[in-house]
Amino acid sequence: MLDFFTIFSKGGLVLWCFQGVRGPAAAATAPVNALIRSVLLQERGGNNSFTHEALTLKYKLDNQFELVFVVGFQKILTLTYVDKLIDDVHKEFRDKYRNEFQQKGTLGLLNGTFDFKDDFMRLLRDAEESSKVRAPTVMKTFEQSLKSQKTVKCMIETRGEKPKEKVKNKKNKGSKKEGTEAVAAPGKASAGDKQPSAAGEREELTKDEILQKNREEFFKRHMKAGEKSSKSPKPEAQKEKGKKPRVWDLGNSNAKVLDYSNSATNGSAEACPVEEFDPDTALGDRNREPGRLYDLEYESDDEAEGEKVIQNPSKPSAKKGGLGGMFGMLKGLVGSKSLTREDMDPVLEKMKDHLIAKNVAAEIAVQLCESVAKKLEGKVMGTFTTVTSTVKQALQEALVQILQPQRRVDVLRDVMDAQRHRRPYVVTFCGVNGVGKSTNLAKISFWLIENGFSVLIAACDTFRAGAVEQLRTHTRRLNALHPPESHGGRTMVQLYEKGYGKDAAGIAMEAISYARNQGFDVVLVDTAGRMQDNAPLMTALAKLIAVNAPDLVLFVGEALVGNEAVDQLVKFNKALADHSMAQTPRLIDGIVLTKFDTIDDKVGAAISMTYITSKPIVFVGTGQTYCDLRSLNAKAVVAALMKA
Amino acid sequence: GMAGGLEPHLEALRRELRAPGPALLSVLLALLAVAITFLIWRFVQGRRSSRKAVLLLGLCDAGKTLLFARLLTGKYRDTQTSITDSSAVYRVSNDKSGNVTLIDLPGHESLRLQFLERFKAAARAIVFVVDSVAFQREVKDVAEFLYQVLVDSTVLKNAPALLIACNKQDVTMAKSAKLIQQQLEKELNTLRVTRSAAPTSLDGSATGGPAQLGKKGKDFDFSQLPMRVEFVECSARGSKGEEGDADFEGLEKWLAKVA
Repeated sequence: MLDFFTIFSKGGLVLWCFQGVRGPAAAATAPVNALIRSVLLQERGGNNSFTHEALTLKYKLDNQFELVFVVGFQKILTLTYVDKLIDDVHKEFRDKYRNEFQQKGTLGLLNGTFDFKDDFMRLLRDAEESSKVRAPTVMKTFEQSLKSQKTVKCMIETRGEKPKEKVKNKKNKGSKKEGTEAVAAPGKASAGDKQPSAAGEREELTKDEILQKNREEFFKRHMKAGEKSSKSPKPEAQKEKGKKPRVWDLGNSNAKVLDYSNSATNGSAEACPVEEFDPDTALGDRNREPGRLYDLEYESDDEAEGEKVIQNPSKPSAKKGGLGGMFGMLKGLVGSKSLTREDMDPVLEKMKDHLIAKNVAAEIAVQLCESVAKKLEGKVMGTFTTVTSTVKQALQEALVQILQPQRRVDVLRDVMDAQRHRRPYVVTFCGVNGVGKSTNLAKISFWLIENGFSVLIAACDTFRAGAVEQLRTHTRRLNALHPPESHGGRTMVQLYEKGYGKDAAGIAMEAISYARNQGFDVVLVDTAGRMQDNAPLMTALAKLIAVNAPDLVLFVGEALVGNEAVDQLVKFNKALADHSMAQTPRLIDGIVLTKFDTIDDKVGAAISMTYITSKPIVFVGTGQTYCDLRSLNAKAVVAALMKA
Repeated sequence: GMAGGLEPHLEALRRELRAPGPALLSVLLALLAVAITFLIWRFVQGRRSSRKAVLLLGLCDAGKTLLFARLLTGKYRDTQTSITDSSAVYRVSNDKSGNVTLIDLPGHESLRLQFLERFKAAARAIVFVVDSVAFQREVKDVAEFLYQVLVDSTVLKNAPALLIACNKQDVTMAKSAKLIQQQLEKELNTLRVTRSAAPTSLDGSATGGPAQLGKKGKDFDFSQLPMRVEFVECSARGSKGEEGDADFEGLEKWLAKVA
């Protein structure tokens, strides 16, 4: 069923490989290389599966011994046992060859023979069998529990809306509590309010206590009014349905079941704190008039409940871990401690908030922190390094890695190449409205002229008023700065325009052929700004790029943009991909980051843009004069980003 | 009474400070000796341990990890794209005193500069592995990486010996070392101009570094560099494939020279 399973070190040596159903031996290397390049190296390590052509690849990192475990299987299959298999193989392999890794280091990896086939076949067989056996039973219990949950919940809501006077005190508190949850409990941050709601939710969660309460209530109803007997068969039937999973789940021990119900009625340790705070909430509810801010309060209460439920279990553990935590810290400083998720989570949270404060798009900050967590999990820290410093170091490396260009960024070299082939080098600028396309186009043409290349500016912005005049003014200024006399009689920059209202793609095509005839080295095509949601305009842009096949498609984005950057780039790329006729569509090749002087150190937009497209930032605009053109320095940007 | 008691003590103290007695002088001398010893020790330590590493650099898929494995064990291993460095001590075969630390660095674009940064100070020699088969296609990328290595300030200061290993010679389409040298010289010549003309970096430092590669006015030549540059042909896979040995005597001889 599996296509292949490889285990290799992060340094690149394949330690063990299993070829499954298909294949030539080399079939594993190409997909795994693609996995490494697109996932691990681009810091998209958040979710652990990746599709490449017809295969799905799942992987696991061992950061302690620097190993990677990859399994590949056909995309159309859904194998449920793969995750468990990887975990089992990981544990077994690590334990079996622990000596080689720890003592002999790299030479151990090189010289060691990793004869893992028998163990692997055994684990594979176990995993396949367990998945086969488990399948029918899983479905049954799940169905039962869902159904029972639904019935119980319905019952609770009906009970909450009806006011109950004559029932037991506990019942009253129970209903009032649920009433407060369902209706507007004032969400003031008082522990008292939240405790019972949390406890109330806990009560909600334990079906057994609720069922016990239902039983009592319906006994009372039987005693009170005969007409309610019609309802009893239904709830009884529902109760019976509810009973079944209990019996199934807990097996045969009836004694245990009875104990559970006893604890509910007697007010056990779990319910104690609830009872202490009950009077306060009960009084509070009677005084206030709930229902005015129903919707909002309900949501916030849910969230508050959620937070409290999470915090409550963590509180006792924090108390227990107080002393142990101190020793753990000392141990961590001196000895060798391996990083766990719990250690890293608070630090990562802080780093994520820090990144978001520095204007990195929120979803990208989350993905980045996830990827760094995956890379560090299980890693052994050196002496005198704290968790914070390790995480910061890893995050810094990840950020520098993202900002490093994945391909060569040398426009002048490519222009020289095009010059040699006697054709103009075409650059297209696209972006949303008002980011600085025309200004930066002028700056880039100035830079090109300084390096001795002649430039033709194609005014394909036929929509905005004054666009053509703006470019004409720039042309005049540039020609004044670099007159033809100083460049051997040729005009270094010229404007090709056809006025307003015409088709941009046609003007671009004419401009390129004009440049070829006249021997211009570079053609800079200025397009109109357009919002990424505007479908007809995006189609027009895609058509311009598909028809004219420019050498470089630059997306101009301003550094002030925040989460919008992600949306803009994704939609621009999608539009270009959708409307291209070719097999491999022309996407955005590079990014121009403008208005960099307006942000002090909130440089997160650079990270968002390069992360989304994995294309480099070619130019950075830092002002409105011709000299304000820079290239990106990854280390400086990351330093500004990590600065507190 | 009391004042009279203190005065002689104060006088003694003042006398002691003004004219340092033999006790104080000997303490000062001892401290000075310790400081000098410490400095000498650090200096010697620095000299001795500073540069014992031979770095394997190159583009992705040039064959660095396989070359690394072959040099250390002589056996063929399957490899994947490296995402971290590997290092091991390599003993030169016939010379007992010569051993260097071979460090195999990842060639992927997003990692290569980071790892170079980390290990460049410890480099006694650099082996730049080139894929001779894909060279024609990749010449610009090869040249750019080589340029970045050559203009690095630490590399220029230490001037480690440079060997350009033209790998994958077992394939018939592989280019010869001579051709690769000529092409690289031409490409680096162009890069000198374009890289120094690139827009300055954000924090003010120029991208190409203030250093000028080679001599101004003349075409670039590898002999113009401050370090020793050699070209050698090799094949990590070997002509007999996975069972046989690798063909890299030139590389081994050069390593023996460097160690």
